[in-house]
Amino acid sequence: MEFAFPEYNLRLMAPEIFLFLWALLIIAYDVLTKRKSETTAGYLALAGLMITGLILGFTGTGHGFGNMFVSDTAAKFFKIIFLGSAFMAIGSSFGIMREKIVNHRGEFYGLILFSTVGMMFLSSSNELLSLYIGLELTTIPLFVLAAFFKDDKLSVEAGIKYFIVGAFSSALLLYGISFLYGLSGTTDLVQMKINIAITHLTFQNIGVILILAIVLVVAGIGFKLSLPPFHQWVPDVYQGSPTPVAAFLSVGSKAAGLIAFAKIFVNGLFAFHHPDMAPNDWGRLVALLAVAAMILGNTVAIRQTNIKRMLGYSSIAQVGYIMIGIVAMNALGMAAMGFYIFAYMFANMGAFAAVAIVEDKTGSCEISTYSGLARTSPLLSATFAVFLLSLAGIPPLAGFMAKFYIFAAGIQAAQHDPGLYWMYWLVGIALLTTVFAIYYYANIIKQMYFAKEPSPHKVTYNFPALTVLLIGLAGLFVFGIYPEPVLHFASGIASSFGIIP
Amino acid sequence: MTDGSQVGVIFWFLSFVILISGFMVVSLKNIFYCALFLVLCLFSVAGIFILLEAEFLAAAQVLIYVGAVAILMIFAIMLTTDMASKEITQTNENVTVGVFVSVIFAISTILLIDKTSVWRYQDHDFSEGVTVTLGKLLMTKFMLPFELVSVLLLAAMIGAIVLARKERS
Amino acid sequence: MFHYLALAAILFSIGLFGVLTRRNTIGILMSLELMFNGATINFVTFNKYVVTDALLGQMFAIFVIVVAAAEAAIGLAIVLLIYRNWRCIKTDNYGVMKW
Repeated sequence: MEFAFPEYNLRLMAPEIFLFLWALLIIAYDVLTKRKSETTAGYLALAGLMITGLILGFTGTGHGFGNMFVSDTAAKFFKIIFLGSAFMAIGSSFGIMREKIVNHRGEFYGLILFSTVGMMFLSSSNELLSLYIGLELTTIPLFVLAAFFKDDKLSVEAGIKYFIVGAFSSALLLYGISFLYGLSGTTDLVQMKINIAITHLTFQNIGVILILAIVLVVAGIGFKLSLPPFHQWVPDVYQGSPTPVAAFLSVGSKAAGLIAFAKIFVNGLFAFHHPDMAPNDWGRLVALLAVAAMILGNTVAIRQTNIKRMLGYSSIAQVGYIMIGIVAMNALGMAAMGFYIFAYMFANMGAFAAVAIVEDKTGSCEISTYSGLARTSPLLSATFAVFLLSLAGIPPLAGFMAKFYIFAAGIQAAQHDPGLYWMYWLVGIALLTTVFAIYYYANIIKQMYFAKEPSPHKVTYNFPALTVLLIGLAGLFVFGIYPEPVLHFASGIASSFGIIP
Repeated sequence: MTDGSQVGVIFWFLSFVILISGFMVVSLKNIFYCALFLVLCLFSVAGIFILLEAEFLAAAQVLIYVGAVAILMIFAIMLTTDMASKEITQTNENVTVGVFVSVIFAISTILLIDKTSVWRYQDHDFSEGVTVTLGKLLMTKFMLPFELVSVLLLAAMIGAIVLARKERS
Repeated sequence: MFHYLALAAILFSIGLFGVLTRRNTIGILMSLELMFNGATINFVTFNKYVVTDALLGQMFAIFVIVVAAAEAAIGLAIVLLIYRNWRCIKTDNYGVMKW
């Protein structure tokens, strides 16, 4: 048997290796120093993320370790999103460092960085084995981070719920991957595409077990993406975890789930998204789940009284919109998906930063706490309102452009291919739920600005949290008015999946 | 070209043990007995691995699953339950829904496997030593997952210690 | 091969039943291990009988065992936290609802 050493190309992995070593540095720093400053570990983590982003800018494209590590445009785009969401999550965590986390500050940041390293490896993998391990490296630190407030019952409950759901979905995903492996004889996604196509041509059908494999993989990744009916964990986990961890979950872990989903389905099961391939097609199944996400997320969010639960349900709906881009399976769809998660990162991380600032001052996450906040804390209310408006999709913010591109991609797919007529329904429902969603976003803005009495609280800002708010604000305005550069960069995602525009 | 449609008596014996002990794990009232049946089940799965010519995997299964994971669970049971009291027993909830879902899942999976005929069978020659080949593969082709998994174990260790530690203050 | 796959399917379903119905949190963890074992048997079976890259199924199975062990460790750490907070590890205390 030939045992050729594959080309390692370690230079491509420089950002991940650096971030991993930096995480070890932060943990070692925290263990080895006697007089603990509150903020040094946090600033170290922020610095490490910035340096990693810089290194990422200088990393070339190519393959390493066979197909197990691929550095291409899609990987780089998503790595920027992961680094950005980790940056903003850490930025909003300085408030809880003062009193709530005294003992394990270094480990807190180290675990966030480990999770980010896992996400980066995940987005670079074109092989199911490294994809699965990257996915596990992403979620295992998050289990710990969700339960980080060890004496707070809500946090521990969030931790165990997230753990059970996460491990369960991992087992389902694994079982589905085993059938994909059995059908194609390989776990390399590109090779799997070819093998399944060959099998399909030779035997004239691909075998009914593919349906089960598709359902299992959708269920496995659907839990991470919080697609209904696998969304039950989101409100409890978002409410119970520390706010920066909930923020990181809402953007980083969802983006990781998205890239994993796209790799397995858009790349590996490329040929099976069209209704012609029924019953093996995943396009309509995923579209159905996306519709459920949009409807359920937007309707249940109205009844929430806790801001974190509301943001959790809103994130369920946002993922529904992003799925339209994936199901459209065209170049604009992939670019729109990338742009959407980019805009969503600014808006959601900013919103959670604002929630963290208010929670730090008032100790509560109820929506009633925000009543009348505009008069005592104008900067916070204004930025929070901007974030909510972008999530709702109001021009000229980035959220509007994101929704526009996603809907355009869906309609374009339906126009090109008469077999995809149900995409019209999909986009129609999405438009309807968007209008519906404006209600509960506007409700919070109304509470802040138009309450009868001013709020008794006046929030104080720490420097990193303020920076996160301003970054979010700037990002939404700049990319709302001038989305072309990001869209151009994101259009490279399609070529990574073999979709030629 | 064999497709493994003939299985020997050892397979039937091992699968009988697996399924009975697996059923005991999920339905017994006393949680400690469940842990012991889990150990038996995992041992039998290692036996199945030997039947499938995966000797290294069988050894790894016994060492890691039985020797570490199951023992860890027994430790956790001892730390969190008073073994002599009544609270060690419990009943299940949602039994009808659970039975329904799992039976439907099992039957549909077996039917779908049965109806699939596109498997590309091939005789593999494992005579030259599976363990040697696995070792060589780990160092060449699968180097990246190998290193990634060590990062994963480090993160899991740090996380578990952070969570389980008793704070001094 | 069919017999091995059927065995894996039944083992997976038994684990599924356990995760859905057990009231004791460690019971849920044990059922999760059964599910992982079912998937592992699948990988090794395909490795032996089907056209495949060299020993890929067994490699995947090794990594699955490692990942499952890491998850079990974290899960049991969280169970210890539950015990410290509620003095009891039954799921009634925190109402785990999965569907």
